Amino acid sequence: MTTEKVLERAEERLTTAEKLPLGDREILRYRKRPRIIHAMLASSFLILLLTGLVILWPALSGLAAGGTTRWLHRVAAVVFMAVPIVYLIVDREGAKELMFDSFKYDRDDYRWLKRVWSYAFGHTANMPKQGRLNAGQKLHHAAVMILSASIVVSGLTMWFFMPSLGANGQAWAAIIHDLSMLALTLLLVGHLYFTFVYKALSGMTRGYVAIDDARLEHAKWVEEVEEEVLGTAAAEPTSQN
Amino acid sequence: MAEHAFLLDLGRCIGCQACVVACKTGNELGEGQQYIQLIEKTQGEFPAITTGWDNHRCFHCTDASCVAVCPTGALYKEDGLTRLDRDVCSGCAYCTQACPYEIPVMYEGKASKCDGCAATTKAGGTPWCVETCPSNALMYGTREEIQAEAHARAEALRARYPNAHVYGENQLDGLGMLVVMPDDPEKLDIPIDPKVPFMAASWQTVVQPAAVGLTLGAALIAGGAAVIARYRHEQEVEELEAQGVIGNGASSSEQEEG
Repeated sequence: MTTEKVLERAEERLTTAEKLPLGDREILRYRKRPRIIHAMLASSFLILLLTGLVILWPALSGLAAGGTTRWLHRVAAVVFMAVPIVYLIVDREGAKELMFDSFKYDRDDYRWLKRVWSYAFGHTANMPKQGRLNAGQKLHHAAVMILSASIVVSGLTMWFFMPSLGANGQAWAAIIHDLSMLALTLLLVGHLYFTFVYKALSGMTRGYVAIDDARLEHAKWVEEVEEEVLGTAAAEPTSQN
Repeated sequence: MAEHAFLLDLGRCIGCQACVVACKTGNELGEGQQYIQLIEKTQGEFPAITTGWDNHRCFHCTDASCVAVCPTGALYKEDGLTRLDRDVCSGCAYCTQACPYEIPVMYEGKASKCDGCAATTKAGGTPWCVETCPSNALMYGTREEIQAEAHARAEALRARYPNAHVYGENQLDGLGMLVVMPDDPEKLDIPIDPKVPFMAASWQTVVQPAAVGLTLGAALIAGGAAVIARYRHEQEVEELEAQGVIGNGASSSEQEEG
């Protein structure tokens, strides 16, 4: 990568107070395309959750009457299943980076996980330094991928093979589907929990988060980005070896 | 209303299809939609053959699998019979798989099965199939009446058919359709001891309440905990700012030096 390109990219990622309306120093957390993919995943998931809940919770069953929610569920299911494909099409590098980061743990990650309760209750001090994704996010991503696979397989089974499932087959498919969704919903609760506690929502709406927050929660990542911005000129000669 | 039941006397059924037609006409069923199917079953080899009619229609089980799996309550028990409100059906088709008699089918995206002529009987009438049966093989009345009549008929039938008995008193906690069975029900492909599949029964009793309960419980606990954790984190940030670790006092280069 040439110096110009690195600086260009760094410029995009690390912004200064003069450039942003809020006046705080902020750092680019998510680019536009991953944010759109996230919105696609979140909206389809919420529609699936609500249209599924109406047949799981007897008090809401009146809303399922007539079958409109059933069709809505299927439309949202197609969008949900398309997410990884669209991700690969619009942001191949980003998708690969996310996969790679999600399954790579270092010593700090294991040490971080041992102290996860402290982090869960709002304490970042004394937590081992984390990269772009903390160890909890890595576990979260892995769980979401596995559970999404099981919910898609059980869902497609009920969608296309219902007439030949038999009583137990149908019940198993429904139960696997429901329990996968239960687990995903609990993960969503955790996801929203950490978003709220650490004020991370702006990362997915505007794309930027406060650099002070990022330094507390993802120190190694901030250092990497700063390295790119501030250390490039010095690093340039050695990188040509 | 008291518990009601149907009587189906297979010693008398002549397979004339009148009930099928009356049911379709009276209930104004759509093209291809049927609540009753008469299927001829033949055993033995010519010339020593016996035949009988499997009345493929809802048996109105007390412990009904279709009701156990129905998510919307479109299928429900009333007066000993299994009703279906198609307006409430969401079209999930769970019932088509759960029924041990394979009765409910999907018709135009919704479940379709006999509802015991709910509208007709509530208005004081007799179910269409009973009304029309020319061989007196069908009856409708209170469960006690039907039970007594079924036993009397089975007793009378035993002179010719030694295996004649009443089917449906014990199956699935009792069927709302008591059948005078001249012989072994399996000769008509009717199961002797049908069961509600365990998994089908556990969906509504275990999985549904557990899923909804855990989700709501987790959301409530997380909501409360999040407020506390956010407050504690804000306190921590204030302390760190006061110490100059973060905030205006600390630039990125200082951090690296430190």
